[in-house]
Amino acid sequence: MTLDPTVITDYWPLFVQGAFLTLRLAAIAFVGGMLIGAVCAALSLLNIGPVRAVITVYLALMRGIPFIVIVFLVHFGLPAFGMRTPAIVTGTVALTLFAGAYYVEIIRGAVEALPKGQWESARAIGMSPVAAARHVIVPQIISPSIPPIVNCTMTMIKESSVLSAITVSELTYQGLIVQGNTFAPFEVFITVALIYWAITMLFHMLAQAYDRRFGASTGRSSRMSPIAARYLSIDGKSGT
Amino acid sequence: MTGFALRTTGLVRRFGDLRALDEVYLDIPYGQVVSLVGPSGCGKSTLLRCLTYLDPPDDGFIEVGGDWLGRERLSNGTIRRRSRRDIDRVRRKIGMVFQALNLWPHMSVLDNLSVAQRVALGRSEAEAESRARALLDRLRISEIADAFPGQISGGQQQRVAIARAMAMDPEILLFDEPTSALDPELVGEVLRLLKEFAQSGMTMLVVTHELAFARDVADRLLFMDRGRILADGPPQQVITQTRDRRVRDFFDKVTAFHPKFMQAAAETEDES
Amino acid sequence: MGFEIDAVWGAMPRLMNAVGVNFRIAMISILLALLGGTLLTILRSFKIRIVNAVIAVFMSFVRGTPLLIQIFLAYYGLPALGLRLSPQAAGILALSLNSAFFVSEILRGSLPSIEDGQIEAATALGLRPRPIWSKVVLPQLFRKTLPMLINEATVVLKGTALLAVITVVETLRVAQQIGSSTFRPFEPIVGAAILFLAMNLVLVTIGWVFERRFAKERR
Repeated sequence: MTLDPTVITDYWPLFVQGAFLTLRLAAIAFVGGMLIGAVCAALSLLNIGPVRAVITVYLALMRGIPFIVIVFLVHFGLPAFGMRTPAIVTGTVALTLFAGAYYVEIIRGAVEALPKGQWESARAIGMSPVAAARHVIVPQIISPSIPPIVNCTMTMIKESSVLSAITVSELTYQGLIVQGNTFAPFEVFITVALIYWAITMLFHMLAQAYDRRFGASTGRSSRMSPIAARYLSIDGKSGT
Repeated sequence: MTGFALRTTGLVRRFGDLRALDEVYLDIPYGQVVSLVGPSGCGKSTLLRCLTYLDPPDDGFIEVGGDWLGRERLSNGTIRRRSRRDIDRVRRKIGMVFQALNLWPHMSVLDNLSVAQRVALGRSEAEAESRARALLDRLRISEIADAFPGQISGGQQQRVAIARAMAMDPEILLFDEPTSALDPELVGEVLRLLKEFAQSGMTMLVVTHELAFARDVADRLLFMDRGRILADGPPQQVITQTRDRRVRDFFDKVTAFHPKFMQAAAETEDES
Repeated sequence: MGFEIDAVWGAMPRLMNAVGVNFRIAMISILLALLGGTLLTILRSFKIRIVNAVIAVFMSFVRGTPLLIQIFLAYYGLPALGLRLSPQAAGILALSLNSAFFVSEILRGSLPSIEDGQIEAATALGLRPRPIWSKVVLPQLFRKTLPMLINEATVVLKGTALLAVITVVETLRVAQQIGSSTFRPFEPIVGAAILFLAMNLVLVTIGWVFERRFAKERR
């Protein structure tokens, strides 16, 4: 089989445009999602029954419904209630709502992983709740949250491909356009895949660099017996 | 071919510069109960791990019931490595009771006892089960056959581990500190059990700190230090008459702090 | 235009007919993924350097690119390599291959949590590698990773909705069809969302039943 080079030589500007829109969408979803995440996490930690219940329902919906269905829900739902908005807006809203749900859990998990005494001792020495959160809680949750947040943002970059279904002209959509023009689906989708791969690898490498610099060492402290390592490890040299 | 259940010649195991086993020669005839003592780090555990080939020795030979384990020396003197499959075959003739027991937590007691019989010895399910039940009866724990290891007491777990090794009808049973993980009140019970096995003619090699066992049950006592067997003989003789200073020091220290042994030693003196 | 709850109920019978398609595709893909992921993990444990390097590249690709693109590659891309699959077959291929890598990563992550002694005891009893895997390692691994595997199963189930894009007539696709024929696109999608939630609940319940069973083995 021969590859069709025109896919790249003639259409590269479309891929570039698409990739930039994908990154922009992910960036907006990141900022908006973190906002939702922080607010919802704070609200649900206050432990007010009804508020917590609403947040729980929100999380369950975002986790239980396929993202593509969420996208259509927002896309057709807003007009149904009289809000006529272009696809790019409904797509961004859907992605942000989706991202927010994941960030809530990350932030809430990081706070709950802190020793209970942190909050109580801050309050005991007379800090207001806001001051306790700002000076005691937040500084401690930033570092452990960064790896899962980077991971989650990578997921959002990948999930944003679904927005092509409502004609948001991000990377996947541009791929479909080029496909329609060239009838070379293999070349097109390999190209698109490689671009996504490059972007996520970049994030992955950043996360790893961060981990090397600030992360706790995760090396197994005890040495595994060679017989057990034959089954229980996948790296290193083969057992004797 | 030999009358020995287990025989090692020149067993060596090195860890870097350290010789954890330094030319160990050992013959254990069928029916003998051997007790192995020595300070911690002396190579006792390494010896057991080499004997089961969990930790292959760097040099030397092991024969189990007349079968070479791992490496063989042909009559013309050449040395041949055996295949992994063959190692597994010969291993089945050795029963090992681990210090940590290592029962499989996801299987019932009965399955812990019968899985290896079925897949390694090719016994039928009915055969394996009846052998397992007979052993549980003999060890007086038949009521826990369907329980899982996590649901039974430490003493019961210990018996299950022993039964699992015995179910394979090994030529020799190896015990690694069988009493060290037990509550003090259970120690006597396990020692009685081992005594029963000894009387029934089981060949055993027991690494232990319990000098009472070494003295009362074992036919033979080995003392190991720095990878070598320094003393070997009838227990009383080794304990009381040895001339090697390291052996003396060890028994002096242990006996001084071991009321059970002191009592036993006192009784022996009365008799003689 | 508003929202008519009756339009949701009106769409339900047709939607419910399509639920089986999602569930069947999901189940087949999950089983294939479990099988593939398990074999992949065992293969990786052999520590053959080239093989593991190749697997690592595929792993990175599968985790670093959107599932939707992988589905497109299976459906639109494979014919260029001479393999023409039906939309359903392409969907199952993409979903199960994708998930197999995630399953393998889940299993690998929990391998070190099995105690060395478990393997040593099995080896000392003379068990061969195959029964050590099948009787000692894998059963414990599946028990330990069950919550993560169930989560992965829900990911696969949700992934089946993406197959609407390559014309598999599943729940979302039927919802779109109803929408375009009634000019009320929103309500059928709500119906589809409800059904996906319900399917998810079924999967999670199945997982919970298994977990309860395994919990009895512990103290």
